[in-house]
Amino acid sequence: MLQVCLLAILGLPWLGAAVIWLAGDRRPDRLHRLAVAFSAAGGLAALGLLPQATDEVALRLSLGGVFGDFTLVPDGLGVLVAAIASVIGCLAIVFATDYMQHGHQLARFYSLTLLFIGAMAGLALSGSLLLTFLFWEITALCSYALISFHNDDPRAVAGGLKALVMTQVGGIGLLVGALLAYAWLGDYQISTFLARAGSLPEGVLGLIAFGFLLAAAAKSAQVPLHSWLPDAMEAPTPVTALIHAATMVNAGVYLLARFYPAFSSVPHWRLAVMVVGALSALLAGLMALACGDIKRVLAYSTISQLGFMVYAVGSGALFASQFHLLSHAIFKALLFLAAGALITALGTRDLCQMGGLGRRMPFVRTVFVIGACGLVGLPLANGFFSKDLILEGGLEGGPAWLYAGMLVSVGLTAAYSLRLVGLVFGGERRGPDPAHDARPAMRLALALLAFGTLSSWLLAGPLGRMLAGTLPAHSLEAVGTWRLVGAILAHPATWGTLAVVALGFALWAGRRAFTRLARALAPLLEGGLGFEWLNRQIVDQTRRLAALVQRSQTGQLNWNAAAILAGLLAAAAVLLAGGRP
Amino acid sequence: MSSLPAFVWMILVPLLAAPLVYLAGRLDRRSGLARWPYGLTVLALAAAWGAFVPAAASLARGAAPAFRLGAVSLQLDGLGLLLAAVALSLGLCVALYSGPYLQGEPGQEKFYALLLLMIAMIVGLGCATDLFNLWVWFEAMAVSSYLLVAFYCQQPASLEAGFKYLVQSAAGSALVVAGIALVFGVSGTLDLAAIGAAAGPTPAYLAAGVLFLVGFGVKAALVPLHTWLPDAHSQAPSGISAMLSGVVIEAGLVALLRVVGALLEVSPSWPVLLAGFGALNMLAGNLLALRQTQVKRLLAYSSVAHIGYMLLGLAITFASGEPLGAQGSLFHLVNHGLMKGLAFLAAGGLLYGLYIAAGDHGPLQVADLAGASRHYPLAALALSLAVLGLGGLPPLAGFMSKWQIFVAGFQSGDPWLMALVVFAAANSALSLAYYAPLINAMYRLEPSARVAGGRRLPKVLGLPLVGLGLAVVVLGVWPGLLDWLTGPAAGAVLSSLGGSF
Amino acid sequence: MSLAPLQIAVLGVIGLLGAGFYGLLAGRNLIKIVVALQVLVKGALLGLVAAGSVKGQVALGESLAVTVIVADTIVAVMGIALGVQIRRRVGTLDVKELSKLRG
Repeated sequence: MLQVCLLAILGLPWLGAAVIWLAGDRRPDRLHRLAVAFSAAGGLAALGLLPQATDEVALRLSLGGVFGDFTLVPDGLGVLVAAIASVIGCLAIVFATDYMQHGHQLARFYSLTLLFIGAMAGLALSGSLLLTFLFWEITALCSYALISFHNDDPRAVAGGLKALVMTQVGGIGLLVGALLAYAWLGDYQISTFLARAGSLPEGVLGLIAFGFLLAAAAKSAQVPLHSWLPDAMEAPTPVTALIHAATMVNAGVYLLARFYPAFSSVPHWRLAVMVVGALSALLAGLMALACGDIKRVLAYSTISQLGFMVYAVGSGALFASQFHLLSHAIFKALLFLAAGALITALGTRDLCQMGGLGRRMPFVRTVFVIGACGLVGLPLANGFFSKDLILEGGLEGGPAWLYAGMLVSVGLTAAYSLRLVGLVFGGERRGPDPAHDARPAMRLALALLAFGTLSSWLLAGPLGRMLAGTLPAHSLEAVGTWRLVGAILAHPATWGTLAVVALGFALWAGRRAFTRLARALAPLLEGGLGFEWLNRQIVDQTRRLAALVQRSQTGQLNWNAAAILAGLLAAAAVLLAGGRP
Repeated sequence: MSSLPAFVWMILVPLLAAPLVYLAGRLDRRSGLARWPYGLTVLALAAAWGAFVPAAASLARGAAPAFRLGAVSLQLDGLGLLLAAVALSLGLCVALYSGPYLQGEPGQEKFYALLLLMIAMIVGLGCATDLFNLWVWFEAMAVSSYLLVAFYCQQPASLEAGFKYLVQSAAGSALVVAGIALVFGVSGTLDLAAIGAAAGPTPAYLAAGVLFLVGFGVKAALVPLHTWLPDAHSQAPSGISAMLSGVVIEAGLVALLRVVGALLEVSPSWPVLLAGFGALNMLAGNLLALRQTQVKRLLAYSSVAHIGYMLLGLAITFASGEPLGAQGSLFHLVNHGLMKGLAFLAAGGLLYGLYIAAGDHGPLQVADLAGASRHYPLAALALSLAVLGLGGLPPLAGFMSKWQIFVAGFQSGDPWLMALVVFAAANSALSLAYYAPLINAMYRLEPSARVAGGRRLPKVLGLPLVGLGLAVVVLGVWPGLLDWLTGPAAGAVLSSLGGSF
Repeated sequence: MSLAPLQIAVLGVIGLLGAGFYGLLAGRNLIKIVVALQVLVKGALLGLVAAGSVKGQVALGESLAVTVIVADTIVAVMGIALGVQIRRRVGTLDVKELSKLRG
């Protein structure tokens, strides 16, 4: 049964991808139905897997040689992330049946989305480092292909390429880590690694730990490798909700949490993780305040929230990080899909052309505000509980100055969320009227996610039990939902956080007092705080180097012969310099 | 005749078929399709496959099939078998493909005859056991490829590419002869194994080593000896581009490997030299490919980069004495043959539909690809798969062989080699910056003017694309499938390095 | 004194190789380039014959040389043939003009 579920989670979406690709674009209605059917089946299989979580290897495929065994281990962490990917993937596809109604190249769209869902589930469930890397790269490939889905738009092409190359550069960290682990331990199994990490030389373990941090930062869009995520917003919105909010960007957090027991003893590693997370939370929160594109605001907010999770892992609050991962996946998917409904109705992503939509699109307004409550962390929404757990964990496990930074981020979150809701739904109408409120399939997906935002915190207890029961290396403790809720409400920090949220609201409400400061900061924030400049420099210098090398290729036969002679002399020099053996 | 070992037939069948094909073509000049030469070529290559199977089986049984006729001595080992496998599989695909591709061109009988000759020479090169024989096969392979590169002898660009290729390749070949003279003068023998036993760190052997490295290095496209490659590979008919990139430069690498293996004792710097050229090849190849606007030229530079990966794997084995690096490198050789063959054949398909079918010989520009996926779905998918595989993305073949090389580098425990592996991985990321835009262009909605007016592709053209594409995916999912080929080949490399480890 | 012929041969090989490479580097005419290639190969040939005589395997050395000559002649013929075609299609024999393919 377990094996069947596992194969279904991975295999059904991939089978669907193949079937849809072969079916071609001729009959769009059939494609919609096929995509929903395959993704729903995968989602059901993932839900079926939840109660069967175990730390045993459930499937093993031996590739032999240096490729080792490919294994699937459906432990709590893996099952959670796989379930998020499959279920939210299904909802995103349901939403897409309306969103992509008049789209072209639907077969490619659905195939790649399904391919991604399967790969993401595989990444979560993989028990082998090589298999993890493999799925890691496949998700990057799908992400690239879907960001530049509208290939005719040069911005989409540039965004896709940027995402691909940046995550690949980060992927080198994972590659180095996996190779080091294999070279020293002779095994790719994650369980082996966690059990025997202590026997590795200190330097090697340090390299692996920081390599994984690099990979996680690139994948989860953490400073300084975050700048691909805002540019990834050119993707069709259901894809954004799925890949760039709810699932793939979580892979970095997942990776850090999975390997935390092995790395927590590496000197400075925990602090580095916390700093990366806190910096991302803070800087992205600032940039979200100055951004004029609804999807980019949400993208910065994603970076910021992922920063919370990374910070939580660094401070040792693993349960809190995974709990927030679940909350965030739900409310951010909701926010993005609601934004998608706005975008289809208005035909723009520009906040300047929104405003006054509250009365014209009441359904979207309601769900968007629910999502925003989750994001800000207002009581009763899932974000309230998970974020407070993170902050409490940080207070216990990390330095106080970082905790203070995180509190500022909480205030910023409140401020930019209020700004976003205000600009979209409040005030006067600043553009043409929307064509319609959300369509039926959109409503279904949105309503389910809104329900999730308000209720997923009830799963805290079962989630904790599942994680504690199947992750022996992580030494987690299971706490019941109500005891957890009681503890959160009784903790003084919770009320402090709420006060900061109120302060954040006040900051936005009283923004006129800071006009001069805002005007001074705005260009800096809109320019991405210099990170964009850095990226451009790297790209430009590479191009310049390439142009320089190209100029050396004269195409003249005489010069080509000279190059042969030069090669001869250089080779002779190297061989001579080597001396005698 | 029946006493000939099976592997000799792999050489003899295409060799003997070549003049027949030419004659058949001369006698049947009316049809533009050149049915007889085409059919005979495909048949001959299929028959050579028939000889491959028993040859591989006898090698697997532990036999060391050998053949001697006068001064010609041949012996099949794992490395030779691997080269034969790549040459024959790509050769069959190219032969199948070229029928429709060349339809209506003059001189097709020469094309097929030379193609068969070239394949025979490559297989022979893999089986050569003495230095001079190695050179003869090598030279004959080169000679048969010159005219293939300049096949479009009406086109100035093809002539230019052919002439440059000829001069540089012949200069390299002269250096090899000079090296042979040196080794012969010092050791008095031409047998590679005997040379390996006799060679030592004397100036004469050292000089010979340099001459061989550069001489064969011209063909294997070591940077900066690679300058002929982008011209020749981009101007040749697409099938020949696939052969050149997929097998011929690799044959140069195999020849280099045989000789350097024999001269290993001459200097401790061989690994440094190979790794250095590997790094140079990766970097220069990628940077130059980044600047290209012509698809076939871009793919040609990508071959320069991929030779770098193979050199890296070999350098690891030379440094550590472990077979894993060589195995990864040879696995990459096979995969590169398949992927680059697929890329060139798919690009050639698009070139055919957009240019050649309309009688135009202009180069295929990246911008021409816009919207190709809707008119040529198979070719677009094939080219996408090929370049993604070349870029090292899983689950495609290129990822697995690179991984094998990388593991070998880390297992060697040498920090320099590990750093090179990281450098190679960074290069893979860089290479995506020129592979990915090809895909982006093909999957655009808005077709380019060329695509909008393009012709349909003949069905037969798609057959090799499907075959190679499936191979690229299957090897990516199940890399162990070729262990029977790459394992013994790596063993052969190791034994050619002698007992020094 | 028995070494003297060998020294002459070695000097000859080096001289011919050098001259050949000089021709490749400095030659501007396609035909001259092909001639330079010939000089280059002749240097290597001289080496082969000399090596055979040094090791007392004159016959082997010379048979190798003959094989090289055959291959080399084919290459030369092809080079000249391409040169003729280039003269006809491009209208020049200057290698400097022959650099449409670059970069």
